[in-house]
Amino acid sequence: MLYSILASGLAVGAVYALIGITYNTMFATSRVMSFTAGQLGMLGGVLGSMFILRLGLPLIVGLGATLLACAAIGVLTEFVAVRPVLKSLDQHLYVLSTLAFALLIQQVTAIEWSTEPQPFPRLFGIGDGVWDEKYWLPVATCAATIIGLEYLYRRTLIGRAFLAVAEDNFAARALGLPERNLRIASYALAAVVGGLAGFSGGELLLAFFANGPQLNFYGFIPVALGGLGNNRGAVIGGLALGLFQQAANFAVGGIFASVAVFVMFIAILLAAPQGLFGSSAARRV
Amino acid sequence: MLITRRTLALGTAAATSALALGRPALAANEPIRIGWLASLTGASSAPAIGFNRGVMFAADAINAAGGVKGRKIEIITRDTQGDPTKAVNATQELISQLKVDAIWGPTNSGESLATTAVMARSKTPNIHPCVVDSLIDTKKYPNAFRIAPANGQWDDAVRNYALKVIKVKKVAVIGDTTGYGVTAAKASAAAFQKDGADVVYVANIDATQPDMTPDMLRARNAGAEAIILWSVSTGMIARLLNTRGTMGWNVPFVGHPSLSSGEIASLVTAKENWANVYAIGYKSCSFDANGKLPPRSAEFVERLKGKVDLSDTLLWWVAGGYDAVNLVAKAVDATGSTSSEAIIGYWNSLKPYPGVFGDYTFSADQHNGYPTDEVVMSAANSAKDGSFTLAPGY
Amino acid sequence: MTMTRSKWMTALPYVLILAVLALLPLSGNEYRALIGTRAAIYWVLIAGLNLVVGYAGQLAIGYVALFALGAYTASILAAGNVLPEVSPALALLAASGVGAVFGVVVGLPALRLRTFYFAMTTLGFATIVTQVALGWQDVTGGGIGLSGPSLPAPFDTAWGLYGLCVGLAMIATLITANVAHSRFGRALIATRDAEVAAEASGISKPALLVSVFLFAGAAAGLAGGLFAALQTYITPDAFTFDLSLLFFISILIGGRGSILGPLLGTIILTLLPEIAAPLAAWSTFVYAGLLLVIVLAMPGGIAALLNRENRKALPTGRVILPQQAALRSLLGEARRKQRLDLSGIVLRFGGLRAIDGLDLSVEPGEVHGLIGPNGSGKTTTLNVISGYYKPQEGRLTLGDSPLPAGLPVGRAARGICRTFQTPRIIGEETVLENVMVGGTLAGRATFVEALLSLPRARADERLIRERAVLALKAVGLDGLGDIRADRLQHSELRFLEIARGLMLHPRLVLLDEPAAGLSTIEIERLGALIKAISREGVAVLLVEHHADLIFDVCDRVTVLNLGRVLAHGTPAEIRVHKEVVSAYLGA
Repeated sequence: MLYSILASGLAVGAVYALIGITYNTMFATSRVMSFTAGQLGMLGGVLGSMFILRLGLPLIVGLGATLLACAAIGVLTEFVAVRPVLKSLDQHLYVLSTLAFALLIQQVTAIEWSTEPQPFPRLFGIGDGVWDEKYWLPVATCAATIIGLEYLYRRTLIGRAFLAVAEDNFAARALGLPERNLRIASYALAAVVGGLAGFSGGELLLAFFANGPQLNFYGFIPVALGGLGNNRGAVIGGLALGLFQQAANFAVGGIFASVAVFVMFIAILLAAPQGLFGSSAARRV
Repeated sequence: MLITRRTLALGTAAATSALALGRPALAANEPIRIGWLASLTGASSAPAIGFNRGVMFAADAINAAGGVKGRKIEIITRDTQGDPTKAVNATQELISQLKVDAIWGPTNSGESLATTAVMARSKTPNIHPCVVDSLIDTKKYPNAFRIAPANGQWDDAVRNYALKVIKVKKVAVIGDTTGYGVTAAKASAAAFQKDGADVVYVANIDATQPDMTPDMLRARNAGAEAIILWSVSTGMIARLLNTRGTMGWNVPFVGHPSLSSGEIASLVTAKENWANVYAIGYKSCSFDANGKLPPRSAEFVERLKGKVDLSDTLLWWVAGGYDAVNLVAKAVDATGSTSSEAIIGYWNSLKPYPGVFGDYTFSADQHNGYPTDEVVMSAANSAKDGSFTLAPGY
Repeated sequence: MTMTRSKWMTALPYVLILAVLALLPLSGNEYRALIGTRAAIYWVLIAGLNLVVGYAGQLAIGYVALFALGAYTASILAAGNVLPEVSPALALLAASGVGAVFGVVVGLPALRLRTFYFAMTTLGFATIVTQVALGWQDVTGGGIGLSGPSLPAPFDTAWGLYGLCVGLAMIATLITANVAHSRFGRALIATRDAEVAAEASGISKPALLVSVFLFAGAAAGLAGGLFAALQTYITPDAFTFDLSLLFFISILIGGRGSILGPLLGTIILTLLPEIAAPLAAWSTFVYAGLLLVIVLAMPGGIAALLNRENRKALPTGRVILPQQAALRSLLGEARRKQRLDLSGIVLRFGGLRAIDGLDLSVEPGEVHGLIGPNGSGKTTTLNVISGYYKPQEGRLTLGDSPLPAGLPVGRAARGICRTFQTPRIIGEETVLENVMVGGTLAGRATFVEALLSLPRARADERLIRERAVLALKAVGLDGLGDIRADRLQHSELRFLEIARGLMLHPRLVLLDEPAAGLSTIEIERLGALIKAISREGVAVLLVEHHADLIFDVCDRVTVLNLGRVLAHGTPAEIRVHKEVVSAYLGA
């Protein structure tokens, strides 16, 4: 029983962590918390199922098509819901624009796909019991993603440019970095990460249109726990959340599990207001 | 001032609309307006999508045959998304703004609990298929009629099957964490206990929980001989069934009609996982030993061919939607009126009305119209075009 | 005359909305009554929430928690599930009370958490409330829910309830407007946009936020109770995340620091889904699309669109001309003079000694210059005096009483005011309102008095406004009072900060590089102003790089280097001090 909680906890935790990274990646270049993060996770599952099961494409092609479609949605998000409200960030209008866009995505999926969960294909057919691929796939994807991102940010020019923009937008622009293009690229990248979250967690969460709000919700907690913008923090926060949530499901039952999760979450934040791995408050005067 | 044809036309239009505001006696060719509160895009919208096919088919069929006494049927649909607030708004809009003659729906109890009182206030004739017992109360809601079983009838069928047919003594009762799941599981567990059964495990599981192993292990360790399930979440049902398969524990599942939902076929990892599962079903939508539907249903299915897809829905949903529209049409046909008194009065006098889904009987003090003996248990995995084989023992 | 006219222009939209609401019953269409009632109920909540979100800038996105609490409290009490049955009126009152208490509980994390973090905790509360409602079946009816309170006649009909809710919505509008236009409203905006300046003006954010959370919670609880009466039946699934977001985004669409904007936002968001409803399955899609269009069409919110004042051209060729007479009547009344003493102050950041045993005293009526190279600890000294830094050693006294170290909020009450290197102003408020923030402490009326606009609150307003007009004259910004502060030039902002400080009737004025960015003539006038302030018996501590200004206006000068006093004396002495000349003045 313990192993089952560990396996499913780590698996959903990895999905939450990846959604957390999606939030972070979009936030880094735009200072916008986009409600589309969870919908991208949902789309990863739905599109994966559509391409591979319904259209019968091979795994690699299906994965590629899914991520490509997600990236396109990401770029579209930047154009439609983010860029127009960047000028007035303190008014938090992006909450509205990204939410509206997320709702558009969800409604189209509900009508054109299905309002019932649909199966997601078994990708490799490796493992069973607690070693089933549906449990380790998200974890492996999460590990691969974080390694890939670290490589991108530390070893490549474009990655460093991302970091520069994330660190100081104005300075980066002054240095002649194509801040706007980098932002678009970061939205595409974030969407790919979100799509991967949904794709790798597809066997676990199924291809279900209502997964979006759920993932939005639980994907944000790792961001808050790990500190805004801190991807490694998000991974640790996500895994911890997954484990805690599944343990709470087991210990106090489904109704009060979310109560336990949020009581824990609020308590942790009050103890560590910048998240567990966030930097301390900036100088005020 | 010169009176042109245009001003004259405008004047006439104004006069007509003024008259319309005064609600004159209905013109003979005015359509019969039926409001339809459907949760089309919310989570678990499958029933409403199924009902909708029956509703549209019925309206088209009646209109194609010339309508009711020359009056067409007009269906006005509102998507409530399972949200009681949206449902209340839509109900009031249908009643006060669109002035519908009757309302069909909503299709889930959470919405119906909120809309029933609104419709009672305006005495709008209402038929719905929601299961919560308290929704039908001829004193408080003399306008509300149910054409599906109440929860108590479902509960009885399930308990009867578990205790008398497959003869188990120890049961585990599981619901999801929605309002319906929590309440239904609680009521069911209490009823089992009252009947002397041993309820060894009661749980409410979050439908999104990815792994059901811990709960299933607990049920097994408690000694459960059958799992009684109350949930409309096909995802959760499939996960439970798959877990049962992995555990190699062939415990029977008995419960909610969603156990037989067509979605589950594609969600179970192996076909066998769906065996030994018994869902609430209806005689009218079940095959007999020869694989035949009752004559009325067979004829109905024949008529649906090529027009309504049954492969991804349930026959009883389509039939229920069809019957609901016809009940309104019959009332107008018989009384020649669309006033609420006429429609409600007609329904109150219904001595078995032969619908497709069942024979409905209403009287002034009984608005639970669905016959209890129609409620049966069916083999969940036996769906063919939305109909089922009866569970063993029937 | 123009005043009354502009007042009319402000009132006009409200009058129009009210007129439409008053005419609605004539249609006799109960669907319109329902939607109108719903909008009114939502507005009762949003009006209160607007103070939290639009004024205080807190991202409270989970207010459906308090709404649900109110709904359940009213329904449970009216049904008599736990306590003996109470009358519906009492049940609504209790809902409001429970809302107020939990408003504080939900809001308290705001004192510790910033933006998104706080937003998530409010959402957490929303989840907790609905899950508890689901699980606690004996009391709440669980998934089956329970009936809402049925109000007595004449509120038991659709139009009766409509009248009640519209009436309450009007009251909510009035009292939130009262708060918004009081010192509390300005203080809220100050904590949002210029938190440090708010502290320096003596505004205690915790006390202020607790008042506002109590009020917003009470409004939300009442709205919840009314909602239960309107729905006639409540289940946990009525309190959705979408509803919570509707409350929040009504304010976003409306725009910050406005009441009319969010009111229109509420109306639009309540009506939009109804307009889209005939599309059935596609209705929510169209609703979302319309929302997106609204954001794109009005990226600044409705309030920005309504604000015509802001587009008027500014007077050109304006000059800053401080008026001594105004200054005298502002600071004229005698106030006990006190001298500032710092002795043996040591402040370390890690291993770095930013201030290393500093002794300093500033006499009343004296301008004391504090100069030194970059990093010598000048601004740090100001921050120690104004309580932003807590020194590890040393004593701070003003007059006879010690100044508690590290507590910035208490400084204003002791008559210490300051300006900042980068002016801390509220760009979206007018110049006059910015100055009035400095007079927050002068008010006597409580939050509740302000809420009801009782005589004492109105007297406060008059007094603060008069003094602010005087302060603007004193610093020479006469005639710019109605202009949004972010449209001023940089040099004007420096004078604006001084005016805000003077509102405290200060004993000690701390000026941090006030001459930076000023023209020669402006520096001259600044010098005269500083001198005039000190001649009213005020102690002035002036940190400045501008040597001319220092030597012109200072009575005494202290030179810092590496956190220590390098030299100390009259300007004449400093001018010839060998070490100073070689190390700093470089002449």
